Amino acid sequence: MEALQHFLPQVWFAILGLFLFLYITLDGFDLGVGILSLTSSSEERRSILMTSLGNVWDANETWLVLMGGALFGAFPLAYATILNALYIPASAMIFGLILRAVAFEFRENSDKKTIWNLAFGVGSFLAALGQGFALGSVFEGIAVDGLGHFTGGMWDWLSWRSIIVALTLIQGYVLIGSTYLIMKTTDELQATHYKTAKLAAITTLVGAVFITVSTPIFYAQARDHLFDLPLLYVFGAIPLVGFGLVGLLLRSLSRKQETAPFVWTILLFLMSFLGLGLIIFPYVIPPSITIYQAAASPSALTFMIIFIGFLIPIMLFYNIYNYIVFRGKVTSLHEE
Amino acid sequence: MDFLGDTVVLSRMQFALTAIFHMLWPVLTTGMSIYLIVVEGLWLKTKNISYYHHARFWAKLYVLNFGIGVASGLPMEFQFGTNWAPFSEAVGDFFGSILGFEASMAFALEAGFLGIMLFGWDRVPPVIHYLATIMVGFGANLSTVWILVANSWLQTPAGGDFIKGKFVVSDYFQAIMNPFALNSILHMFLATLETSLFVIGGISAWYILQKRHQEFFTLSFKVAIAVAVAVTPLQIVMGHLSAEQVRHYQPTKLAAMEAQWETIPAGSTADWSLVSLPNDKAQRNDWELKVPQGLGYVLEFKSKLSEPVLGLSAFKPADRPHAIGLIYYSFRMMSGIGFFLAGIMLVSLIQWLRGNLAVDQLAQQKWLLRAWVLAAPLGYIAVESGWIVRCVGRQPWTVYGELRTADMASHLPAAQVLTSLTAFAVLYSSLLVITLFFASKIIRKGPNLELAAPYSSTIVEHQLDSRPVN
Repeated sequence: MEALQHFLPQVWFAILGLFLFLYITLDGFDLGVGILSLTSSSEERRSILMTSLGNVWDANETWLVLMGGALFGAFPLAYATILNALYIPASAMIFGLILRAVAFEFRENSDKKTIWNLAFGVGSFLAALGQGFALGSVFEGIAVDGLGHFTGGMWDWLSWRSIIVALTLIQGYVLIGSTYLIMKTTDELQATHYKTAKLAAITTLVGAVFITVSTPIFYAQARDHLFDLPLLYVFGAIPLVGFGLVGLLLRSLSRKQETAPFVWTILLFLMSFLGLGLIIFPYVIPPSITIYQAAASPSALTFMIIFIGFLIPIMLFYNIYNYIVFRGKVTSLHEE
Repeated sequence: MDFLGDTVVLSRMQFALTAIFHMLWPVLTTGMSIYLIVVEGLWLKTKNISYYHHARFWAKLYVLNFGIGVASGLPMEFQFGTNWAPFSEAVGDFFGSILGFEASMAFALEAGFLGIMLFGWDRVPPVIHYLATIMVGFGANLSTVWILVANSWLQTPAGGDFIKGKFVVSDYFQAIMNPFALNSILHMFLATLETSLFVIGGISAWYILQKRHQEFFTLSFKVAIAVAVAVTPLQIVMGHLSAEQVRHYQPTKLAAMEAQWETIPAGSTADWSLVSLPNDKAQRNDWELKVPQGLGYVLEFKSKLSEPVLGLSAFKPADRPHAIGLIYYSFRMMSGIGFFLAGIMLVSLIQWLRGNLAVDQLAQQKWLLRAWVLAAPLGYIAVESGWIVRCVGRQPWTVYGELRTADMASHLPAAQVLTSLTAFAVLYSSLLVITLFFASKIIRKGPNLELAAPYSSTIVEHQLDSRPVN
């Protein structure tokens, strides 16, 4: 029983990590394309960018809905406290995602595409910003009492370090958005995104280095955690692999490869994600509430594993199928 | 304006606003998804291109509604955490896992196949496309099931106990199949169908009145009538069964629905209130129009009540709802619309049987067609009214008899909630106006009857179009 009470929350920590990774990667390129559209030089280009996402954005957003539901069920305390603490960033994300979603539907029926193209870009940026600050608060920590209830203030999530984390996440989204567009477009549009990808790769790297270096300095708990053997080797290896991946990414960009940059970026996201997960574990509300304290009852966790766990491969299957059906370049502005 | 400083009231207003706005969209997409499955199936079977054009035309309205539905559903999920943190913590074990099922089983399915259903006509074989359409509809209706399971559990909690304020599940099956669950699922399933039928029938009637595409829309008009023949009477039965359950499990809600202040003992008769002015402070109705001895007939189809009907005065003011007028009139609105729609169905059916709905004669049935156009928004009003009865009538409880709404709100600065509430109000009103504008634009433009059958229906092996842009 004791073992089960440790094992089940760990499984759910891993499942939630998977959902979050899928969301950040998949909706990450959607949001990145949205942010890129703000810098696009013509309405026509903006329209191509939106068309490239028309069939996937809502499926990608599903992972966020799923993560919300699973977090609510598996770690009710964490769901309550984290969202309570992040009221403002969460609201910004929600308003951003609403704006982004309606932009797709309204644009399809509108004669004035400009305003909806703009709503798409602004919404994507706002959503990414909200998510960035939410991520920042993981490093910053959330103030709670002994029962894990939020005791901090409404602006606790805002600090100079969380600003850097938010900007880095936005750069990451721009990077993965650019590499997605390299795959989906041709000619001049593709050439533009080779440039934006290279730029974003460098800015993301700068942000990531800063976060990696500053975390043990400012975050005492992570420091104790990080310098434990044998974890030290893992933490040492992740940045090295990360640097290697950035190198491979830059090389594939200069060789004008079409698919490789996207793949390297996904692996880069995966590395950052593993690092993040290892820093946080076993906490779910950093820096004080562990997954064991916040977990639902073992029976609830088991029940959810049976239902949701069984569905994960099925969900992955039809989502992959969706991408296979729509593989290839964006060929027309109207997918009617 | 005391409520402006009260976080609980503001959080309730925000949730109510989000829920009322959100409900407008899935109610149509869920019902319409079944219509889309039917017409696409008929197209595959008969190869009549008209059915294909129906699938394409209504899908335009479908996707517009779907997008707004996704956009407005997200804040509902997150509000449980942001504004109702103590609630989330107390019931997450069960309520949260059910929302997780809804997302993984239902919403993911719907969103995952939507892309293929909308844009995949030329990219996959017809059978796969049809499968995608079925999955979208299946996912949407599965959402109804899980959401109604979750809400029913708030009404009639079962399958576990509250230990130190937290719900611990002992029997999942019992919790899922809680007393309200089955009736509520069926009532809502029929509600989505009925609303969609009258939207489809109403829009079709409008075209016929305009003498545009008469033959095309006579088809959907008749499909709407045919399905309404089954749905509208069934819905009245389901409504009655639901009210019986309310009487049994939530006496305070039933008393509010009928604005009944005094308890009526078993074995006696009572008047049924038709219109009244409930006065919560004085605990009586200031004015009332009654049907003599009607209550027994309304509740049990006989004059004498076999069980007592508890009045509101039988409960402490802290243990019963207070927006009596709202609950009382919402209930009358919902049931009135239910009967009105059944009446329209009956008249339409009689005209059909008399042969007056043939393509060349239908346009002369002006009053019938106008009634259908008028009825198009009524399903929405009934659904919203029903949810108001269900959730305002549940007060002062979030989980009936167990957790009080006042204790379940996050401790947030009122100004913060007021700000987000205002932002939601502004955003949602604009979205409503803009969506109605684009929906009417789609309708005014009409179906594209020139559209050729998809490429994939002639060539089974699909090829990828790799032409570059421009």
